[in-house]
Amino acid sequence: MNVVLIKKVQIISPEYNSSSSPLDVLIKNGIIEKIGQNINVDADTIFEEEGLSLSIGWTDIGVQVCDPGYEHREDLHTVSMAAAAGGFTTIACQPNTNPCIHSKSEVQYVQRNTGDAIVDILPIGAVSENCAGKDITEMYDMHKAGAIAFSDGDQPIQDSGLMMRALQYVKTINGIIINQPFNSSIAQNGQMNEGFMSTTLGMRGIPHIAEDLMVQRDIYLAEYTASRLHLSNVSTTEAVRLIRIAKQKGIKVTASVPIINLILTDSVLERFETNYKVSPPLRHQEDIDALLKGLSDGTIDFINSNHTPLDEEDKKKEFTYAKFGVIGLQTTFPLLNTYLKQFQLKEVINFLAYQPRKIFGIDIPKIVEGEIANLTLFNPKIEWTMQRENIQSKSKNTPFIGKRFKGKIKAVFNKKQSIFF
Amino acid sequence: MAELSTKHILGIKYLKKKDIELIFETTERFKEVLNRPIKKVPSLRDVTIANLFFENSTRTRISFELAEKRLSADVVNFSAAASSVKKGETLLDTVNNILSMKVDMLVMRHPAPGAPIFLSRHIDANIINAGDGTHEHPTQALLDAFSMREQVGDLEGKKIAIFGDILHSRVAMSNIFCLNKLGAKVKVCGPPTLIPKHIQHLGVEVSHDLRNTLEWCDIANVLRIQLERQDIKYFPSIREYVLRFGINKKLLDSLNKEVVIMHPGPINRGVELSSDVADSDQSIILQQVENGLATRMAILYLLAGKRGS
Repeated sequence: MNVVLIKKVQIISPEYNSSSSPLDVLIKNGIIEKIGQNINVDADTIFEEEGLSLSIGWTDIGVQVCDPGYEHREDLHTVSMAAAAGGFTTIACQPNTNPCIHSKSEVQYVQRNTGDAIVDILPIGAVSENCAGKDITEMYDMHKAGAIAFSDGDQPIQDSGLMMRALQYVKTINGIIINQPFNSSIAQNGQMNEGFMSTTLGMRGIPHIAEDLMVQRDIYLAEYTASRLHLSNVSTTEAVRLIRIAKQKGIKVTASVPIINLILTDSVLERFETNYKVSPPLRHQEDIDALLKGLSDGTIDFINSNHTPLDEEDKKKEFTYAKFGVIGLQTTFPLLNTYLKQFQLKEVINFLAYQPRKIFGIDIPKIVEGEIANLTLFNPKIEWTMQRENIQSKSKNTPFIGKRFKGKIKAVFNKKQSIFF
Repeated sequence: MAELSTKHILGIKYLKKKDIELIFETTERFKEVLNRPIKKVPSLRDVTIANLFFENSTRTRISFELAEKRLSADVVNFSAAASSVKKGETLLDTVNNILSMKVDMLVMRHPAPGAPIFLSRHIDANIINAGDGTHEHPTQALLDAFSMREQVGDLEGKKIAIFGDILHSRVAMSNIFCLNKLGAKVKVCGPPTLIPKHIQHLGVEVSHDLRNTLEWCDIANVLRIQLERQDIKYFPSIREYVLRFGINKKLLDSLNKEVVIMHPGPINRGVELSSDVADSDQSIILQQVENGLATRMAILYLLAGKRGS
């Protein structure tokens, strides 16, 4: 018998009024046993501190799990631990493994190896074989096996015909095609956002038009095919404007933005720091403002971690040769809570938990007595400094080591398991 | 004695105006040394310098090597195509291996922008950037500005135009930063595909009109068309480039003024400059080379004073 008692916790959930007074929550063997005032029982673990908040488990879409193929960067176990430490009980993994998740076998590999994990890892199947952007995959078969959506992940689909056929093909299963809007012919080996900073550094820039053009193309294709499109990792002012118009027209498009692109601009690249080399690139303050406005008015649906583990050898080198990406699972909430104070906790939980589940048709747990606990317990008031040893990922490619954050994950509950931090 | 505010020369952006002025003063002193019958001084007798060239170079490498030898430094040379480094050893490992042999200073040319800045975060030796990709080539900019001053005096308010492939040119970038710091007015001129979109944010004007820009400027710094850096075509043919942006004697003679012509070398004769311009009295190309040696001696000398700091 495992008994956890959470005292005086603010429950952030549609079932509870946010202004209501804190409640006690009793979890026995992974089941929500009781919710009420002044629960007093003998418990194995008691959480009692000011500021405790509880919501359904958070969900991240588009995590690079690196397993199979790149287990030296991350594997299904470590990504699960990193996700849990970041408050996520569900993650959807990108297909960019080796081999790619481009058939039923790889979908089943992920499922087979994560059955015992506390975090649900849901595969995103590839749109094209090897994510090479040419031949369409067996999406129907992967869907039947459990793939929740289709994407070529960090290899954005360049071929318009392929994108169109993929959107058409998944209609019979009410599927979603995820694409990171990025035109590689315009970006031409660009290393960072094109602007004053790239010019000063003599670095080839990735102009915003490389993203804007693809957003527009994909929206046209979604409209033409009347299919469902999710634009992941958007980063520009114009992308937000185009998505807003598309939504107004009733086109079935949704969008997400990586947390780091809401916090930092390309000005941090002044000293060629490779841990700021990300895709999409860090852009300008006006882009951040547009993205935040997009989140506020519902144009952008949610925030993702864009978790991309890379070993030291891929980052500790000349900027041009370093790979794109940072880990992000454990810093998503702390960054959001520390820097984006304009969002109320209820909105934050909406971005991190409800919206991704709604869009991708993932069951939404309830915080009511008798339900299996799928919960994230966190304290938005606690300050802490991130140390290298706090990082659960195998890879440590983050610029935030040594940074002070406000907001800490205390525990996650899922699949009748729990982890405390 | 005055000293530099920095222990590395990573780029002009990282130098203060007083550093640049100190380098000019020191360059003048070494230029005088170079005109003596015995051109060698013992200043860097106890200093070992490694010249690391991860990209081809003839004149810059020779200029540095001669400068080092004139200052009595011990010199080792390392040349490697960047690809061999990509295949195997990392830059950091290569450099640490060389530094283990008690090398004090590094002169490095590298195809990746920012490579010397990356290196400076991980090693103690003094680093001189001898060109990093399309980022900076600070010693070239310093010798260019020194040569300009010899021609027209203080550069405050002087009009300098830079012609050609600005997009792929570290010389252009360092020139712009340097001339801005010295108060000159800078205009860049070339085909739109070879001019970075945001260059005007660096405080320069942009023109695509060769004749007008030549009429405007006191000095024309003509850059080499970097065919080797262009992985895609930015203009259709050399022939068409020459038609629109080639500078020849006839054009120069038709102007209402005598413009000083500079070029960092090596010249594509008949492309950006015709031979009759390159070899004319208006051209100071060979003076630039001579000043390059003195400038590099000055920089090495001044940095040697910052060893261990």
